[in-house]
Amino acid sequence: MKLVIYLLITNKRFIIGISIFLLIVLIGLIGPLLYPVDPLSFAGPMEVAPCRRYPLGTDTYGRDLLAQTLVGTRTSLYIGFLTALVAISIGTIIGTLAGTKGGIIDEILMSITNVVLAIPGILLAILIASYIKVRSVEVIALLLGITSWPWYARAIRAQLMSLREREFVYLSKMAGYRDIELAFKDLLPNIATYTFMAFVLYINGGILSEAGLSIIGVGPTKGISLGLILQWASLMEAVRRGLWWWFIPPGAIITVVTSSLMIVSVAMDEIFNPKLRGR
Amino acid sequence: MLEVKNLTKVYELGFVSKKRIIAVENVSFKVEEGEIVSLVGESGSGKTTTAKIILRLLPPTSGSIIFEGKDVWRDVRKREEKINYWRKVHAVFQDPYSSYNPFYTIDRVLKQGVRLIGINPSSDKADELINEALEYVGLNPSEVLGKYPHQLSGGQRQRVMIARCWIIKPKLILADEPVSMIDASMRVSIIELFEKLRESYGSSTIFITHDMSLAYYISDRILVMYKGRIVDEGPPEDVISNPEHEYTKRLIASVPRLYQKWTL
Amino acid sequence: MAANLLSVINVAAYYRQQVGTSIKTIKAVDGVDLYLYEKEILGIVGESGSGKSTLANVILMNIKKPLEFVKGSVRIYTGNGFLDLNSMSVEELRTKVWGKEIALIPQSAMNALMPTLKIKRIILDVIRSHQDRINEKEVVEKAAKRFRELGLPEKAIDMYPFELSGGMRQRAVIAVATLLNPRILIADEPSSALDVVSQRMVLKTFYDLLRKNIIKSMIFISHDIATVRQIATDMCVMYAGKIVERGSTDELIRKPLHPYTEGLIGSIPSVEPGIRERKLKYIPGQPPDLSNPPTGCRFHPRCPYTMKLCKVKEPPMVNVGNKRLVACWLHVKR
Repeated sequence: MKLVIYLLITNKRFIIGISIFLLIVLIGLIGPLLYPVDPLSFAGPMEVAPCRRYPLGTDTYGRDLLAQTLVGTRTSLYIGFLTALVAISIGTIIGTLAGTKGGIIDEILMSITNVVLAIPGILLAILIASYIKVRSVEVIALLLGITSWPWYARAIRAQLMSLREREFVYLSKMAGYRDIELAFKDLLPNIATYTFMAFVLYINGGILSEAGLSIIGVGPTKGISLGLILQWASLMEAVRRGLWWWFIPPGAIITVVTSSLMIVSVAMDEIFNPKLRGR
Repeated sequence: MLEVKNLTKVYELGFVSKKRIIAVENVSFKVEEGEIVSLVGESGSGKTTTAKIILRLLPPTSGSIIFEGKDVWRDVRKREEKINYWRKVHAVFQDPYSSYNPFYTIDRVLKQGVRLIGINPSSDKADELINEALEYVGLNPSEVLGKYPHQLSGGQRQRVMIARCWIIKPKLILADEPVSMIDASMRVSIIELFEKLRESYGSSTIFITHDMSLAYYISDRILVMYKGRIVDEGPPEDVISNPEHEYTKRLIASVPRLYQKWTL
Repeated sequence: MAANLLSVINVAAYYRQQVGTSIKTIKAVDGVDLYLYEKEILGIVGESGSGKSTLANVILMNIKKPLEFVKGSVRIYTGNGFLDLNSMSVEELRTKVWGKEIALIPQSAMNALMPTLKIKRIILDVIRSHQDRINEKEVVEKAAKRFRELGLPEKAIDMYPFELSGGMRQRAVIAVATLLNPRILIADEPSSALDVVSQRMVLKTFYDLLRKNIIKSMIFISHDIATVRQIATDMCVMYAGKIVERGSTDELIRKPLHPYTEGLIGSIPSVEPGIRERKLKYIPGQPPDLSNPPTGCRFHPRCPYTMKLCKVKEPPMVNVGNKRLVACWLHVKR
């Protein structure tokens, strides 16, 4: 265990990736505090290019874009994190139950998994958008989490099914462990690394998916996220009109965050899967 | 002490068109107290499946396992009864790599043994027992305790498993290929531990192995399994010199001997 | 006097492993001499940590990181001259040596067959990797003929690996590996994963290869002495990266000279009357850590006959007559 942590900390990719990510997190957390401008209220002249007064300029409604970007970063990260939480929670429970209990429970849960897997997330989002006119970020995160847990549940189930047959599980059983104790002490630690990686991937997915939903207009209606900034930018034809300060910052941040998390997950894969380690 | 009666295990695959695999077919045999019996067969012969059924880990399709008068699958149902059973019937498995959960130190398997016999694993008595057990199997506790499985050699790991058995002192031990993954020059020292356990407190051992030479050396009785059935049974000398079944004859002829050379 | 086919002189190969922050050097093969002659089946016997599998790769000069070739020479004698493998590039080895002069059947070869490819495809891939242009039809015909020669059903070529039993799969692997009639065949634990009946068939296949002159000689590597002795004409015993004894199979088994060989043979059960009374022995302790091997003779910590000299100086390999070689101070005459 300690060896794993040590390897992680000394892996260059991991350090680079996690540093960039934490930097963005810091910006998202502290930024709005250091620059306490309300992102959604009128701040000055419309569509002003970046200058000293408005470091990232303003949008069509005269709102400060730096404020938007900072708060947006915070919100997007929050959504990503929440999505991961929801997906991992549901996926772990379902995957564990299916993988360890087997039999009819497994069949039922896998059927449910397959159904959810087949539901197109975007359609569901559009449906929800047309029914619920006011959508908080939590609702969107919940939606994303609920539609994305299947692959992870499947993977956990597969891992557990193979772990179940290992001799150390038999030995624990013969030592009198109850099923729950067995699951926690013997099985869960062995899937912990996978869960950790999946969590990182889900944060990534959550941020990107939210951006996608927001751009087409079925994202959150309250608050401001990077995706929502891009939605406004595209509605106001910022690209065509050359208002680069509107869409480049949020796009850049999304790119940087997802890339850094990708690097982190590649590094983790290297460490956790010893076969991929270099010399 | 142990009687296996008409044991059968059939696996059915698929939903609509079922494919049947008969892993164990009508297997019957007895094991007395203090006996060392070997179940010899190649992979796929059903010997490991039989062992798992005896260990109450895999349910049979039909037939019964009678241990000390009770039917292991029908009369032993409640958790308490099951734990009692595992105090009397325990296992040493083959693969020294997956017998241990890589997340924990090897102490855990010994502590589990202590827990099984009803002693608090964190008590002094537990530490005493663990130390004594390790010395019994020829290990130095300070060299072995606190280490992770990958830090010990295969031989050491197997000895720790046997130490666990010393703590539990089961009446019957099922050893599934306990030395196949261990260097030939060290095998005997580990196999002899099972004999030592028998001398110390009369445990019986069922050895599951594909190695006829090893079975010949250590067993009181050999049972030959082929395609799920027992095809030959008897004291080692008998089985080797007068094999009855075709398969046994072929098997004996194909076992490489140290002092004899085949004509190929 | 049979022709010399292979000369391995004072060869050493180490593994360099990254452990935490430092680099550990594991001296897997440390100063090995080996000679192979025509019509000979040389058995290399060793247990875990002896270096026998590494030696197989070194003979072939199949050296990949973290393995490093440290010193020595590996020379094979071809029909017209010789080749020094240790000074050839991988490209040269691949096109001129591997598969054609020497072939290796590594451990678990039969499990390494791509399950989604038919044997035919695998054969074509193997030949293609050693020859730049091939005539597919010719190759398949040749393979079919070879299969027939070795007693394998021809239709196996059109099957998938999982459709064949373990024994058949291994024999198919052997047939494919020797398709280009290499002079020397090296097999690393070719039958350990098989049941005894299949094992015997595999050994017979090797014997047939030699008898039919498809290969000229063979090196059989295994930890199982009883199996090796069934086929090997000569045997050498490896311990901790060095060869400790060599001689003809019968002699080595009946009268082992090196204490390790003695201990090893004494620990092997056999289905022969008298074994049960004989009481098997075992060698106490475990094989040494090759990143820090014992001083002097590497076996001395476990040897029942250790003398003061053994702890200090490594014994030289001496010829005690009749091609019998031992590396032990007990057998060095003063």
